[in-house]
Amino acid sequence: MPDPVAAVSGNGDDTQTLIVVFLRGAADGLTLVPPIEDENYYRARPRISVPKQDAIPLNGFFGLHALLKPLKRLWDDGHLAIVHAAGTEDDSRSHFDAQDFMEHGGVAGGGWLGRFLRFRDRPPQSPLSAVALGKKFPECLRGAPSVTVMQSMDDFSLQPKAVGAKQPSPNPDQLIGGLERLYAGQRDLLAGAGRDTLQALSRIERMRASVYHPENGALYGKDNFSLGLRQAAQLIKARVGLEAVSLDLEGWDSHFTQSTVMNPLMTTLATGLAAFYADLGPAVERTTVMVMTEFGRRVQENSSFGTDHGMGSVMLLIGGGILGRKVIGKWPGLAADFLTGPGDLQVVHNYRNVLAPILTRQGAGPYLRTIFPDFALEPLPLY
Amino acid sequence: MITRKQFLLAGAALTLTGCADIPPEFRLGLRTLEPEPGPFRAPVSDSVDLVSHALDRLSFGPRAGDYGRVASLAGTQQDAVHRYIEEQLSPRDIDDSTLDHAIRRIETLSEPLGELFEYKEKVLLGDITRAALLRATWSKRQLYEKMVHFWTDHFNIDSSKGDCRWLKAADDRDVIRVHALGSFPQLLRASALSPAMLWYLDGRVNRKQKDADKPNENYARELLELHTLGIHGGYTQHDVMEVARCLTGWTVRTVKQFNKGRVEFHGEQHDDGEKTVLGRTIPPGLGAQDFDRVLDILSLHPATAHHLAEKLCRHFIADDPPAAAIDKVERSFLAEGGEIRPVLRTLFTTPEFLASRRTKIKRPFEFIVSALRVTQAETDAGPAILDYLVRMGHAPFQYPTPEGYSDRAVHWMGTLLWRWKFAVALSRNEIRSTSVHLDQCAKDFGGESGLAAHILGRRPLPEEITGCPTPQDRLALLLASPEFQRC
Repeated sequence: MPDPVAAVSGNGDDTQTLIVVFLRGAADGLTLVPPIEDENYYRARPRISVPKQDAIPLNGFFGLHALLKPLKRLWDDGHLAIVHAAGTEDDSRSHFDAQDFMEHGGVAGGGWLGRFLRFRDRPPQSPLSAVALGKKFPECLRGAPSVTVMQSMDDFSLQPKAVGAKQPSPNPDQLIGGLERLYAGQRDLLAGAGRDTLQALSRIERMRASVYHPENGALYGKDNFSLGLRQAAQLIKARVGLEAVSLDLEGWDSHFTQSTVMNPLMTTLATGLAAFYADLGPAVERTTVMVMTEFGRRVQENSSFGTDHGMGSVMLLIGGGILGRKVIGKWPGLAADFLTGPGDLQVVHNYRNVLAPILTRQGAGPYLRTIFPDFALEPLPLY
Repeated sequence: MITRKQFLLAGAALTLTGCADIPPEFRLGLRTLEPEPGPFRAPVSDSVDLVSHALDRLSFGPRAGDYGRVASLAGTQQDAVHRYIEEQLSPRDIDDSTLDHAIRRIETLSEPLGELFEYKEKVLLGDITRAALLRATWSKRQLYEKMVHFWTDHFNIDSSKGDCRWLKAADDRDVIRVHALGSFPQLLRASALSPAMLWYLDGRVNRKQKDADKPNENYARELLELHTLGIHGGYTQHDVMEVARCLTGWTVRTVKQFNKGRVEFHGEQHDDGEKTVLGRTIPPGLGAQDFDRVLDILSLHPATAHHLAEKLCRHFIADDPPAAAIDKVERSFLAEGGEIRPVLRTLFTTPEFLASRRTKIKRPFEFIVSALRVTQAETDAGPAILDYLVRMGHAPFQYPTPEGYSDRAVHWMGTLLWRWKFAVALSRNEIRSTSVHLDQCAKDFGGESGLAAHILGRRPLPEEITGCPTPQDRLALLLASPEFQRC
């Protein structure tokens, strides 16, 4: 049992942060990371494939869509790994069912990230340990010991929001002074937690009071995705004990004229992730970004220049220590015999086998079976 | 013919007569839940006296009139608390009709099992959560509600798993609330046959039709480890497997079937061979009666008595409860055949209970409810309140794994920031659909220092009531103080 008082601090420099980016709507892995040496790919998509000459070559077989070019630097730095033919065993091809299944980690109570935070070897005790950026409570975080659905830094402040408030915002200094006196006098668990919380609070107030300047020339977009990552970077650098962030990028359901649906989203995705990566600088070593989607899309294009619901898609993994510059795992191929269901890329790599090594690295070891129940794990070698 | 103006005036007159003339049984909704009128008595002792202690532990914290009412039940504090305990142990004799009328407004709570599937799951979860908060905040049967809270954790079901999204509402009503102060063996039996529990711990797929079928052990394991014997209760892996065999064939009707959600026994899926559970033989061929045999072995087993005694003492006395108290409660459990009321009576009369003042830290749910109670807040117990519980990781019916929310303080130490934020927002009336009438509260207790004594359950220290310029911030400081986190 770790010293409980030390454990509640959460302000330590070694806090690792997981960023879960969910591409809602089923993003087409064959467009994000096209298999440019697979003839069957071009046969199945005569009109909407990524031409070989337009793709950014990765490893001789796969390429990166040109609009994801900002991610090439991460790849070259060895901080980006790709797992293709990834997804879940859920074959409902329903957005809701598949997202639900993926976020819960199977048919289970709570979400996989929530269970991770509750059960790994040290309890997360920072008030800011888990944050969902946006308006919605993500299912993956259900059951976590503490979750903030956050839209702005104000959500962490003791000072109530001025907008819509019935009274003018008072200066919280006197209240904080009062709390300092009350929590200072004692030596027990509660008093220790009170002092840690006051410390976190003062970091937050400093953060709120200053204008955030992204570092290393990071250029975030003006969209909510970039804005969310920017806030995540700010919180990570402020060392307030942030351990898990959930962030969505929605709208990937490209049944119709796929390029008009996907192109702006790919730009948003790549711009945000590349800016976040640059902004973090050395802190990227304590950060892992996992990009996932509920399922991929039919290999064969449809008559309206789009694709329908399929199975396997792609996962992007960014972070410290990761076996970067690699497309990890096996490629099942796109020949008709190897497709599943109505003609879909097989799921060779269950997403749990991708998440497991990442969570293991962060202390989930003995609890993996609780985090991913009823599933025989075969973790991929990601490190 | 009446003119439109006359019609409107008549309507206005009806409105003006207000609620006072409408008998409570005809009044619906939250308007029936109004603060009681003062003046009120506050504690005058510098430390937590016996009456405040009893209110700390048998209730979710004192409402404005509670201290004075309990203190005046008898001439001495000992006798008064004794009467309060007896009163709370007989919830049916306590008139709670005002709350009942308000709760009746939440229609899904009385829907029959099969009808629950007609609702969106979010509606059901919202409704049972709101009802849990309203009952904890307003019920006069406080000890009963505390025990509902206790058993909800003991027989934890996460409403987000599978059909539990619909079925937990029935489990809460038909299992937990029916038996919370009844008999443990009956509670255990009801829980074992609760469709939500059969879903949550996979009992519904525990079957053996062919020789190759392996029973699903999930429920059997938790039944032994969590619901009855306890992890050190002396059972083996073999016992888990044998209990799982005994329970094969019990399932829940599922999708697109008539009577969806109904629990039934399928003899052809039952393993009808001989079993041995904790050294006792269950002969072959008993079919559905294996279930009764197993529960008979478990529900009043000495290890079950010890496990439950320890958990009850942890809940009501201290995180690490004294062995002497556990011992007495355990013996009472066995002597009373698992009747919950006499067991609690035993617990509340142990010297260890009586001496354990402010040794517990409120969990977030208890903190929020006690703050609403102590300030006489009017609230719809809706999404704005739930949002704080989610932030603190203590939303009712949403704990992911079977052991339920922890009853130890160490797991809740990361929640102080949100408690403080709640204290500030409540004091400043900035929580949607919740309001506090601070001036009236202070007036009812003869001023702010009387109100502070009521909130803290003892006379305040100087540093607890000074330093903040506004009455709102002074209230916030009290609610955010270390002392108000304790109970």
